Amino acid sequence: MDLFSWDGTLSYKEFAVAAAPTFVHKWERLNSSSPSWIWMEGYLSLDNFCLLPSSHQESLFDANLIQKEVNEEETIDDDDATLVHSNKSYDGAHYYDFHIVYSASYRVPALYFRGYCCDGRPLMLNEIEKDLPSCSAKVLLESKWSFITLEEHPYMNRPWYKLHPCGTSEWMKLLFLSDAVMAKNGLAIDQYLVSWFSVVGQVVGLRTPIKMVKSIHDN
Amino acid sequence: MATESPSSVRKVVVQLKATADAPILKQNKFKIPGNDKFVKVIDFLRRQLHRETVFVYINSAFSPNPDELIIDLFNNFGVDGKLLVNYACSVAWG
Repeated sequence: MDLFSWDGTLSYKEFAVAAAPTFVHKWERLNSSSPSWIWMEGYLSLDNFCLLPSSHQESLFDANLIQKEVNEEETIDDDDATLVHSNKSYDGAHYYDFHIVYSASYRVPALYFRGYCCDGRPLMLNEIEKDLPSCSAKVLLESKWSFITLEEHPYMNRPWYKLHPCGTSEWMKLLFLSDAVMAKNGLAIDQYLVSWFSVVGQVVGLRTPIKMVKSIHDN
Repeated sequence: MATESPSSVRKVVVQLKATADAPILKQNKFKIPGNDKFVKVIDFLRRQLHRETVFVYINSAFSPNPDELIIDLFNNFGVDGKLLVNYACSVAWG
């Protein structure tokens, strides 16, 4: 495939046969503390993922400090962030189902998800937003990189929240082409979902371990 | 943080590289304490570029989590003694 004419998309076959199995395998091997992704004859599923709201508080840093040679930050900032939100942690855990579904119209993966309380009550979008990591979600949700819509899940035939994939091919092109050109190792389409998830997972608070990415080059 | 020995606060050279339509920064190399988080680089770029949103990624087809430590990224992805960080402002929509 000509790297410079690659449009950032992949075919369903590449998704199903190459990218999805690689992603599932690496996630299972290198992210063993999390539940596994499961191939459901057409899409990937990670169900019953527990998100504790208090675990997502990011401490805010002052970007001014970036250029200072000596950095003696007061650690009290971190404690403030924890204290402010500690009362909320008794709301109970929230559970999420995440599905990665191939979008035939955009020829890229799309993330569908739904959230619910421990008693099974579905979460509304304003409740879900409170669970999202503050630091990355703010950036991603306000931007053109992604946004959340309520759409019918193509396999479940029910309305699920979806991170809309219309910007996906553009940023995948950025991610992949810089790397491929740098490493001169061609287009590793089987790594597509690992790279894709390093961006998309941040929106919903699912971290892609460095090792999953690192092993792209170790293989 | 206060309990860590000085040797663990290693400085990492971060080089910022503009891609797509992003403006180039006058100063594009910085030394950052390795125990800082990646969010510092993201926030710095947002302020410098006057953008709310910046797409930040490194040369392994990877967009690091904001709370990843700079030193971890450097140890895994650093090349020639520095961590190369790419940034883009926006892409065509729709």
